[in-house]
Amino acid sequence: MSMEDYDFLFKIVLIGNAGVGKTCLVRRFTQGLFPPGQGATIGVDFMIKTVEINGEKVKLQIWDTAGQERFRSITQSYYRSANALILTYDITCEESFRCLPEWLREIEQYASNKVITVLVGNKIDLADKREVSQQRAAEFSEAQDMYYLETSAKESDNVEKLFLDLACRLISEARQNTLENNVSSPLPGEGKSISYLTCCNFN
Amino acid sequence: MADNLPSEFDVVVIGTGLPESIIAAACARSGQRVLHVDSKNYYGGNWASFSFSGLLSWIKENQQNTDISDECEDWRKLILENEEVISLSKKDKTIQHVEDFCFGDQDSAENVEEAGALLKLPAFGASDADRVAQESEKECTLVENTLAEVESQEPEKATGTEPASTVEGNDPEITSESESSHDAALGESTPETGSAPSESSAQGPKKITYAQIVREGRRFNIDLVSKLLYSRGLLIDLLIKSNVSRYAEFKNATRILAFQEGKVEQVPCSRADVFNSRQLTMVEKRMLMKFLTFCLDYEQHPEEYQDYENSTFAQFLRTRKLTPSLQHFILHSIAMVSETDCSTLEGLQATKKFLQCLGRYGNTPFLFPLYGQGEIPQCFCRLCAVFGGIYCLRHSVQCLVVDKESERCKAIVDHFGQRISANYFIVEDSYLSENTCTNVCYRQISRAVLITDQSVLNTDAEQQVSILTVPPEDVGKPAVCIIELCSSTMTCMKETYLVHLTCPSTKTAREDLEPVVQKLFNLNEEKETENEELEKPRVLWAVYFNMRDSSGVEKKSYDGLPSNVYVCSGPDSALGNDCAVKQAETIFHEMFPAEEFCPPPPNPEDIIYDEDEIAPEESGFSNSPETKPESSTEESSSGDSTAVKKEDNEE
Repeated sequence: MSMEDYDFLFKIVLIGNAGVGKTCLVRRFTQGLFPPGQGATIGVDFMIKTVEINGEKVKLQIWDTAGQERFRSITQSYYRSANALILTYDITCEESFRCLPEWLREIEQYASNKVITVLVGNKIDLADKREVSQQRAAEFSEAQDMYYLETSAKESDNVEKLFLDLACRLISEARQNTLENNVSSPLPGEGKSISYLTCCNFN
Repeated sequence: MADNLPSEFDVVVIGTGLPESIIAAACARSGQRVLHVDSKNYYGGNWASFSFSGLLSWIKENQQNTDISDECEDWRKLILENEEVISLSKKDKTIQHVEDFCFGDQDSAENVEEAGALLKLPAFGASDADRVAQESEKECTLVENTLAEVESQEPEKATGTEPASTVEGNDPEITSESESSHDAALGESTPETGSAPSESSAQGPKKITYAQIVREGRRFNIDLVSKLLYSRGLLIDLLIKSNVSRYAEFKNATRILAFQEGKVEQVPCSRADVFNSRQLTMVEKRMLMKFLTFCLDYEQHPEEYQDYENSTFAQFLRTRKLTPSLQHFILHSIAMVSETDCSTLEGLQATKKFLQCLGRYGNTPFLFPLYGQGEIPQCFCRLCAVFGGIYCLRHSVQCLVVDKESERCKAIVDHFGQRISANYFIVEDSYLSENTCTNVCYRQISRAVLITDQSVLNTDAEQQVSILTVPPEDVGKPAVCIIELCSSTMTCMKETYLVHLTCPSTKTAREDLEPVVQKLFNLNEEKETENEELEKPRVLWAVYFNMRDSSGVEKKSYDGLPSNVYVCSGPDSALGNDCAVKQAETIFHEMFPAEEFCPPPPNPEDIIYDEDEIAPEESGFSNSPETKPESSTEESSSGDSTAVKKEDNEE
């Protein structure tokens, strides 16, 4: 890892009901593809995209649910050590919006306190089928202290903005943390990944 | 969810414990279509870990003896004439003798809510069993700032109704200004305004109240099984090989402790430890180094031990030039074997294993997963899902359907009455009904979990992960293995320690373990106690329970299981995880002899989509829904973007 060429590495995790377009958002952003082609997700754990923001290289590691949301069976460990969460619903699907509190509860339970959460209403290209108004979503996000954005993975509307703004946020957050040098609680990522732990043998 | 479950798979796995999860991952990885279900609403079965409130509901559930009445058997009409059924158990009966104790003022916690519960929102999924805390919907005073975390950096947000803040914030401005009784209890901790907030055991532990434990409940990740990973054990090897290690983070166990003559002391085990030890004399240091060096390649020196091959390891140690204290260290804390039953060779082997694991990742042979052992099965489930495995918690299976003629299992019927067919079926032991298990003889594991206010051995370094073996008082009884976790393992709240006690059962868990708890901890509540008692860590809360140990049961002991149904056992009482990994690999290879077991998946980092110089607006987010992506998506076209770059795999 030490050899790698980036200034920041962030883990971003997507959640939300099945079919709201999480994978499409990731694919659109990382590969510029739509639709991603079903089945293509098999074996792909997370997607990486390195972007440059104001001269700094930011590596974004974007994790998808691997389908475990289909029957409400996301593992807790999925949320651990995420720097940011993208909570997605489908603006043409009331049900996906109504499930948001349930998702928030999972976030509360399992994610770090310091996680940044963004609410994303996807599929604005299907405006004529809209079931969730911007105002409702905006009010909801405000009440829950989340950022809010509407996107279209299909038309590539706001997708770049979503991830890049998030990256900016994360950078300034990271800076602040270093400044405050806050040791009150272990930050995500503080533990060691076993491949990188140091060695010093008995002999 | 409205989503329909497919009705055909290659492998159906029932239970999400460690062996089942490894098998599910291995199967999906090798291209099988896997359905993985658990009747519980959490992952891991008896390998799970819980928040404090989650554990309380688990306790409640296991103390109630509600027998589920026979529900409608509509599904029987799905069974054809040439088929028969093997019913599965409707209730998990693997946990017994659950007794929990609160040593603080429990009443003070009555109005307390777990912090972080989203009370502004309408309650969803009210049946959710792991949130008892929320049921107490009293006039919850403290809930105003549900989203502003208790640990929020801004003390002004932490209102006085949150006692936790008095401990954490140490902000003199915070005053308990509200009514409820727990605030009174907290008064004691408010004067603490020193500079170092948490790491200050030297000044005497602050009193953590039960109310605080409840409020900070989600800081706890309390494992039902207490295990560590041997740094050269099978599980570490598998985690690395399969790349599942990327889903978890680990901490080294930092100390090996011993309990001798009523005192807890640190065991020096690495070379550096031995040299730095202040408790050993120079002579002892030499003795110990010499013996440990011999153990590392004892096979090369058969002359040293062959006369003792028929003796116990303890007897052998007595013949070596070792002081009694060193013998104790080696026998109980390094080899961790029985004084009476372990042969010389077994003891040497165990010592060698310990020494070989030293230094791979740190000063002790052990690693502990952050957030608890319960993460590990989930990590394998993630791998399975990434390779297309389908996951359903809260999904019971009524029965296995067996074809009479071929005597093979061909399907399951789930609780919705859906029939799902597959070629192979993996079932965790606790799902099998009494009819299937009549001839099975189970062992039991005795467990205790304590929340304490300080470490059993206080040192300058506060955040310690310690392992301590307490030898049995009566010869022939098992030793008790104790793992003490600090808050930086993310398994308990700050200012507390989580202590796990484990031994093979001889009686109920409380009978087996309470004597050890009494030796090491102070169980008295508020009363004035002897000085000696005061030095011991105070137990704030405790639970005892017995867990069925289904490891080592041979498949033929189960009645009438078809050959394509495989049984996974629950956790064993050993410290490591080798048993589960071995079982998973064996079962996988019985099903798919030609397939590789969990080979490394393609590394997502191999491909990097590089885009140069994107300059988004500085402003970041706007909460306005009208935000339009104006300049942010501009990409300066400086040169060739989207370079696909290969990276070296770090492994």
